[in-house]
Amino acid sequence: MFKLNLKIALRNLWKNRGITSINVGGLAVALAAFILVTLYANYETSFDKKNPNYDQIYIVGRILPDLKTNYTPPPFGKAIKDNLPEVENVGVTKVGGFEFAISSNGATIFTKNLLRLDYNAAKMFNINPTGGLNKPAGDERLFYLSKENMDGLFPNKKDNKPELVSLGSKSAGQTATVQGAVINDKHSNITFDALSIANVLGEGENYGYNNYNTYIQVKEGTDIANLEQKITAMYRAELVKGETDKSVLERVKEVSVFLDPLKNLHLRPKAGTDANYKILITLSVLGLLILVIACINFTNLSIAQATKRAKEVGVKKVMGAFRFQLTIQFLLEIFMQCVVATVLGLIIAEIILPQFNNLFLVDLAIWRMDNVLIWQLPLILLFITLIAGVYPAMVLSGFKPAVVLKGNFTTSKQSYWLRNSLLVVQFSIAVIFITGLLIISSQLKYMRSQDIGFSANQVVYIKNIAYFTNPKDFEPIRDRIMKIEGVKSATVASGIPDGSENGTNGYTVEGKEANIDFLDIDFDYFETLNIKLKEGRFFSKDFNTDTASSAILNESAIAKYGLKNPIGKIIRGCRTDYKIVGVIKDFKTQGFETAIQPTIYTMKNPCGNSKLEIMLKVDESRMSEVLATLKSQWSDINKKDGDNFRYQFLDELYGKLFQKQEQLQSVFFAAAILTILIAMLGLFAFAKYITNGRIKEIAVRKILGANDLQIFKLINSSFFVLVMIANLISWPLAYILTKKWLETFAYRIEMPILPFILSAVITISLTIITVSIQARNAVKANPVDALKYE
Amino acid sequence: MIKIENLEKVYKTEEIETTALNGINLHVKEGEFVSIMGPSGCGKSTLLNVMGLLDKPESGSYKFIETELLTLNDRERSNFRKRNMGFVFQNFNLIDELTVFENIELPLIYNKVPAGERKKLVNEIIGRMNIVNRSGHFPQQLSGGQQQRVAVARALVTKPKLVLADEPTGNLDSTHGNEVMELLCELNETGTTIVMVTHSSHDASFSNRIINLKDGHVISEKINKGRTEELI
Repeated sequence: MFKLNLKIALRNLWKNRGITSINVGGLAVALAAFILVTLYANYETSFDKKNPNYDQIYIVGRILPDLKTNYTPPPFGKAIKDNLPEVENVGVTKVGGFEFAISSNGATIFTKNLLRLDYNAAKMFNINPTGGLNKPAGDERLFYLSKENMDGLFPNKKDNKPELVSLGSKSAGQTATVQGAVINDKHSNITFDALSIANVLGEGENYGYNNYNTYIQVKEGTDIANLEQKITAMYRAELVKGETDKSVLERVKEVSVFLDPLKNLHLRPKAGTDANYKILITLSVLGLLILVIACINFTNLSIAQATKRAKEVGVKKVMGAFRFQLTIQFLLEIFMQCVVATVLGLIIAEIILPQFNNLFLVDLAIWRMDNVLIWQLPLILLFITLIAGVYPAMVLSGFKPAVVLKGNFTTSKQSYWLRNSLLVVQFSIAVIFITGLLIISSQLKYMRSQDIGFSANQVVYIKNIAYFTNPKDFEPIRDRIMKIEGVKSATVASGIPDGSENGTNGYTVEGKEANIDFLDIDFDYFETLNIKLKEGRFFSKDFNTDTASSAILNESAIAKYGLKNPIGKIIRGCRTDYKIVGVIKDFKTQGFETAIQPTIYTMKNPCGNSKLEIMLKVDESRMSEVLATLKSQWSDINKKDGDNFRYQFLDELYGKLFQKQEQLQSVFFAAAILTILIAMLGLFAFAKYITNGRIKEIAVRKILGANDLQIFKLINSSFFVLVMIANLISWPLAYILTKKWLETFAYRIEMPILPFILSAVITISLTIITVSIQARNAVKANPVDALKYE
Repeated sequence: MIKIENLEKVYKTEEIETTALNGINLHVKEGEFVSIMGPSGCGKSTLLNVMGLLDKPESGSYKFIETELLTLNDRERSNFRKRNMGFVFQNFNLIDELTVFENIELPLIYNKVPAGERKKLVNEIIGRMNIVNRSGHFPQQLSGGQQQRVAVARALVTKPKLVLADEPTGNLDSTHGNEVMELLCELNETGTTIVMVTHSSHDASFSNRIINLKDGHVISEKINKGRTEELI
């Protein structure tokens, strides 16, 4: 019987090969999207999962009145280990601050992400260098490079022997011994391209140095809430050791400690952004919706085809087939199509994978043995077979032989509501995607065209490892640079406006204290970035005090303190009194998502960060000459930085702030195209069945005098109504979703109306075109032929 | 063989109730060839469907060799039908995706007849029906008469006790129609009981007994003498 059923199924599919290809093809495309999303979701949710202590590792973070942070002071880890028996192991790490060169005899590489960690952390995170992990002796620091860097420096190295390298500028003569290579697992929260392992990190640094990450590994079954309380109590006690001032003792209660499990760190850290999580959720919902649309096509077309199979069902039932047997038969048929769609889906996914990897900056692969897709795919297959197949199988197997065998049977009434509802759902999803895409594009357009308050064009950012914290140190460098024809200005600062965060500290003006951002800069910082002055003046060499005790604030800072006439007023912070000499207009260093932070700019800041970031404004027409000159003279201009002149264009760096939104735009573009394509494929096939079912009606109407246009109208009207309903349903949904998305921006567009109208126009026109193509055959046919069937 | 008593069947739509069968009493002897005639909508097809267990009446009794069939559940009805009954339809109802051979084989598969045996039985009946050179063809490749012969072959291949035919010549020209009627007569002569619904007096003349229905009632019964003598 199976053989016979298989024959019927195959012959049927072949007979309706057009529809079958649409059905299977649509599902294959949707499955490809779903497979990619599943791969991505698997990847994103399994960071560090290979770590044998995955469930026992937590990062220790601090909650301050206006801040949650994973940065902790170095002695904290030791205190936890010494006092809390439920903590099995404590590891401390510190991320490196800047990029520097490492050279062997033949090659130079740049490490951007030097990770310092203590031996316990190395053990906790399974750091496994070639030749094994060794415990450093005493104060020794063991230096390792990532496999890629090691291969870059010593391409022919075969043994595990240590190698001598020079660090930074060769002329500086600083060397280090590389112990070996470590595979840098990009699928981990701990990433690096070079490692320095010590027995203890931050020795001698006290509780004020919050520059380290502390990880703990707890014993199984530990009550984490309880442990959090214990650590908080311990932390507060350490902070106020020897303190008698009542207000300090009171204020320490505002500080507490949290533990964040390793499995949360990549997607939903307690301190930090959950952007990854949001992307994952968005993608998963998109993937699922696309799959649902394709399944709806399947269901709809299978029911539409039911009329053709009704006779078969009737005959089989008369011959003695049970309903159950027929249900299974139809499910198997749909399963077969789903198998084919899955195979095609895998092929399509494999083809798109490189672009997908590029877009999401991941390295996913389908054909890997440890891929969980191996067991997920059969489940997905089963799932779609059931979703797409159960209803049609029930409808088909439920036909009454006495009715269907009379030969004039139609299914249209039976499943009318269901099929129409499914079409509405399909189009609603498509409308949401189109509207979403249009609104995302509007916001991006706004972000690209808006005045950001500064100009990153023609600004060259030079990567440098020499400290210029004292303004005097940069003076000779600036003089040399300014001699190059085409350089308009040069400055150095502790940060560049590329979205990176500034430091935060408490400052007081007129008795009012507030935490505001600070940035340490040099002369010509505002001029280089073309930032507008609101009142007062910029820093100038004409004023000796500027290098010591002058400050410039932005508008937001003035507003935060509520200052009326700020110029000349004193702002105190970090044991220094600064005189406010200027107020600048706000500029968007952080892009459009975060509001501009109240910021103070000074040239000297005892609590500040080191000034490393050199920026030059260059005449556009002379850019290449300037860069060539800088390259050739750099080791002479900036001796401490050395042989390797490295630069980036600031506008490119700033543009990266838009990357996430551009990513989202690409995803929505693909999703909108896919949903519309699949929905239209479905509609195309569906309209064929509907018009075929109405051929007699059309013939009669034509004989009675209807013209072609009237017939087109007649066929299109029901679909038009459905698409209108879909638009009406999805507009509020799209409105709510896009409004929520827009609210993640501090600077955003007003909700536009055009995308809603446009998506209606797009879906309605596509529907009319699709349906009319199908209706054309029915309209052009000779009515006599249609009526001959009677 | 068949005893039908007080059979009632009502079709209900939202507003209208139509009584299709209104207290039908009917007895059919084994080996008989009965025609049911009557105007459109008189209930003859409904009666045939009830006899074929394709439809359920509201009340009454339907005994087939002393077994009451109206109390059976769906599964038991399916089983009873496939063992005891064969069907011939006006519009042939062959499965388009199956060849002549496969169409005829289908009821044997549902009766779980082993493959070797199936082949033998199908070839035998194909020979009898004179369609040997058509066994690999699909229904669309055959004339109407040939299609109906395949349908008859399919109805007979399981050697059913009862064959139910619903206007078997309705879609055929007179030559092909006569061929099919002769086939049914031959079959009846070998002992198979046949109940046929027809509009055609000509076709009915092939049977032993003609029952006339109107508005769900049996209004007359006529013995076809020439044929009845054969039966006796």
